[in-house]
Amino acid sequence: MSWRRIRFLIWKEFTQIRRDRAMIPLILLMPVIQLVLFGYVVGSDVRNLRLAVLDNDHSQQSERVVQAFTSSGYFTLVARPTSEAGVKQVMDGSQAVIAIEIPQGFSDAIKARQPEQIGVIIDGSDSRTGQVAAGYAQGVIANLSGEFYALPSAVPGAAPTPLGIDSRIRVLYNPTLRAVNTMIPALLAFVLLMSTQNLMSQAIVKERERGTLEQLFVTPIGRSDYLLGKLIPYIGIAVVQVTVTFLVGVLWFQVPFRGSLLLLFSGLMLFMLSALGLGMIVSLLSRTRQQAQQTSMFLQMPSMMLSGFMFPVEAFPRWLYLLTFLIPLRYILVIVRSNFLKGSPFWALWPQFVAMALFSVGIFFLGLSRFHKRLAD
Amino acid sequence: MTLAASDSEVAIDVRGISKEFRSVVAVDDVSLTIPRGEVFGLVGPDGAGKSTLIRMLTTVLLPTSGDAFVFGKSVLSEAHEVKPRIGYMSQQFSLYGDLTVAENLNFFAELRGVPRADLAARTKRLLEFSGLTEFAKRQAQFLSGGMKQKLALAATLISEPDLLFLDEPTTGVDPVSRREFWRIISDLHRQGITVFVATPYMDEADRCNEIAFMTQGRIILRDTPAGMKRRVPGRVIEVAVRDFRAAMPVVRSLPFVTSVEVSGELLRVLVEACSEEQECERELTDALDEAGFPVEYLRPASTDLEMAFATLIPSAGGLVGTADEQILAVPE
Amino acid sequence: MRRVLAIARKEFLHITRDRRLLGVILVMPLIQLFLYSYALSFDVKHLPTAALDLDHTQQSRMYINALEQSNYFTVNRVLDNYSEVDDVFESNTDRVVVVVGRGFGRDSSGGGAGEVQVLVDGSDANSAQLAQTYAGALSRLYGANIVIQQYEAKGFNTSAIGGLSANVRTWYNPEGKSASYFVPGLIVVLVTMVTVLQTANTLVREKENGTYEQLIVSPIRRIELMVGKIAPWALIGALDIIIISLIGILVFRIPFRGSVVLLALASLLYVICTLGLGLIVSARASSVDTANQLAALVSFLPTFMLSGFIFPLSSLPIALQALSYLYPARYFMVCTRTIFLKGGGMSVLWPQIAALTIFAVLITVLAASIYRERA
Repeated sequence: MSWRRIRFLIWKEFTQIRRDRAMIPLILLMPVIQLVLFGYVVGSDVRNLRLAVLDNDHSQQSERVVQAFTSSGYFTLVARPTSEAGVKQVMDGSQAVIAIEIPQGFSDAIKARQPEQIGVIIDGSDSRTGQVAAGYAQGVIANLSGEFYALPSAVPGAAPTPLGIDSRIRVLYNPTLRAVNTMIPALLAFVLLMSTQNLMSQAIVKERERGTLEQLFVTPIGRSDYLLGKLIPYIGIAVVQVTVTFLVGVLWFQVPFRGSLLLLFSGLMLFMLSALGLGMIVSLLSRTRQQAQQTSMFLQMPSMMLSGFMFPVEAFPRWLYLLTFLIPLRYILVIVRSNFLKGSPFWALWPQFVAMALFSVGIFFLGLSRFHKRLAD
Repeated sequence: MTLAASDSEVAIDVRGISKEFRSVVAVDDVSLTIPRGEVFGLVGPDGAGKSTLIRMLTTVLLPTSGDAFVFGKSVLSEAHEVKPRIGYMSQQFSLYGDLTVAENLNFFAELRGVPRADLAARTKRLLEFSGLTEFAKRQAQFLSGGMKQKLALAATLISEPDLLFLDEPTTGVDPVSRREFWRIISDLHRQGITVFVATPYMDEADRCNEIAFMTQGRIILRDTPAGMKRRVPGRVIEVAVRDFRAAMPVVRSLPFVTSVEVSGELLRVLVEACSEEQECERELTDALDEAGFPVEYLRPASTDLEMAFATLIPSAGGLVGTADEQILAVPE
Repeated sequence: MRRVLAIARKEFLHITRDRRLLGVILVMPLIQLFLYSYALSFDVKHLPTAALDLDHTQQSRMYINALEQSNYFTVNRVLDNYSEVDDVFESNTDRVVVVVGRGFGRDSSGGGAGEVQVLVDGSDANSAQLAQTYAGALSRLYGANIVIQQYEAKGFNTSAIGGLSANVRTWYNPEGKSASYFVPGLIVVLVTMVTVLQTANTLVREKENGTYEQLIVSPIRRIELMVGKIAPWALIGALDIIIISLIGILVFRIPFRGSVVLLALASLLYVICTLGLGLIVSARASSVDTANQLAALVSFLPTFMLSGFIFPLSSLPIALQALSYLYPARYFMVCTRTIFLKGGGMSVLWPQIAALTIFAVLITVLAASIYRERA
């Protein structure tokens, strides 16, 4: 292994990247686009849910109901159909994702202290939004219940009794449940994954396509030199991208960072090993760059979907739940999120570190050995 | 391939065409006229601008300035009328590797609107012509270098163009295939097709009707091959001597020697200003003997294009290549 | 026309000769389909929970039991004192900690209100939000029951208490099957991923091969080239859509309540859009690398995020909402969901179809005009 040769290879790689005029803006553009998407799209909380109201009572109380919904901050009133058919049309056309029906005789029931119900119709074709909407709606209705049906005190003369439980729900570490705070840290891992894996596999396959791979081997450059010379530039690029993302996240999106940079760095570096290994494996399976890109995309999707990034892992069926333990992204997400928001110290995160180390190193060396072997042929 | 009333005798009329790439001037104000039916050779070293010139004439590249007219149509503004009448074989292999020989030919035939009725016959003829009949079902990427070039040529011929542009068509091709290639070209010539070929090989340039020397983006000279050779002042002596390589510096140092080159195991020496018969021969023999290189024999030889190129091009202080030698206009 | 067919036929040959790519294109989407449709749901159940009972009364134990019974929470451990709470969160052992206050039993049975603290780990916004909602709902329910008990104990007429509750009905997907939700969305995402990349490569590869020049020298017109290049991939994209739909319907038994013709129309238009997008990338990209990266950038994430697949578009900031209108995926997503689950027809979907048509035409024309006829 000669450092001079490695330095030369690194320089060559960078020169090739530089010469491809569109690559540099792309490399910089990628994290920016991802930041925007992750920061503003994923990071936006569910609100402005489009609401339709079917008011069959037309009373002061029913108006109060409508007002309670619109002032909750979660709903935006978009339609006031006058019949059930009208509701159907609005829902069919996806103008509204939730509709409430206030039955006739609503105010009468309240005055007579009879239990009453408000119909809530949610659009199940978008079940995530629907569920959240239902939850919010129920919350609003529960509050209204307390308001309309204020109970006389169990002890005459005293203040009205609250319902039998006073439960305070506190959200820790991210009290406003600001989704950006959990997404931007996750994005760091993503940028690393996508960038490293893509660029690496593309670079290797390109040399194979061009046939320059063979040319390199008739030179005294050894396999290890070649590999290091290939890996290091892309590691460098990835580090730059992650740093940019981090800075934008903390400074622009104001994501709190309560942890240690060292922890973050070591976690991400470990994770990167797995991305590199995957890049190598992809490059082994592909003969053309087009194949490599397609395969990369298809491998990244399960990572996104199954790692706990978008969908809570606890909800998976058992077999899938166990499978997720094989995904390195799962662990780095916990590490990154905990680090940012909780300032978790290392000892608290050691299971994740160990697991990730095992997998990352495993994948990396698997890729490396296959690659080495392939080069030898 | 019929002669329309408006067709002139001129196949290509280049008028002050130039191409700049950022800071590099690849083609510098070239003007040229090529009559119909000629095999015209563009000769020059790598980087002279031959490919760039050809690509402008085939409407692939846009000239930075100037214009060119192919069969009277401008490559700048009437490119669509130029394209159907020409064929272009580029320097690098420009066919589809993962398509078979037959599929490639078929594709280009369809692309160029070869009448369906003629297609089968033409394909068969071209395959035979280029000796590729038994390889019809093989994917192009699995052909040898020579076969690839022949296939590329066949692909340009399938639409029976009036003018063929060939950019270094025999680079990397074995000598046998090269000869076959040129046999094909002379066949085309006999059919009245105009051929514009760029080549770095002097022996190929010899087979053209007219050639032009190009270097650093400019056309320096234009003449028939014989005419070029005649321009070279002096005469050539072939010298057989052992250790001919070591002997070269000795020969070069002689005042009457213009240039020396190696041909096989002989030295070809261009000499001039020999006052008497055999004077140069004698001085040559003496000088070499003195230096310890006994001369086995000497004999006169004819100039070749290589020598012509080497001597005529470096124009600074050279014997030829001055302004009035630059024939850039219509040769009438 | 002959020229268009020549190009299309050539592209088909390229495709069939690249077995690996074909394999990836046809097989990978299916794998993803199975994986996600079986696996994913938004219901968070069995949230790992820790309980801290500071009261140690029968009532407090009953409350914790009720939590466990609800299936939303899985009580994994019982803590002893408050200081352990931080550790639990820092080491991510549990997502929720329920603290039953001292005096819970006394207060709740004595006519007051028992104190409960529910601490939720906010570092995972998804589950945190839902945990919050569930905890709130549960407490309300439990509390309501307790109040009724109290009143009965005191001899009050419980029928005069009343109360407002919600009667929730879910339309279009009453069983709440996650596959019904995912499959229409996956159609959009998977097809996008498969199509954009291919056309992005196709023109650039001609450039890298050198065959680009031959195309220039030929009399083919730009629009003919574009159409010829799109056609075979349009067919493959359509094939993918059909396969995914069939599997969704036959294997996952998701409903299909709309019209096949409408779906075919929308699919065709959308596929033209994505392929055209790839061509635009391809027409200007200088190398295959750039084309690949750019295509991935443009197809993968934005489709995921800006189409309404998972993240509702209504919650986006206005700027991004506006941006999403420029994205054909958005319209196609509405089409698939509506056709599969709602059974809506042209009368409901005409805005989307119109938008898709405009995009399809615009994009193809744009691709043709961007393509430079000279090198």
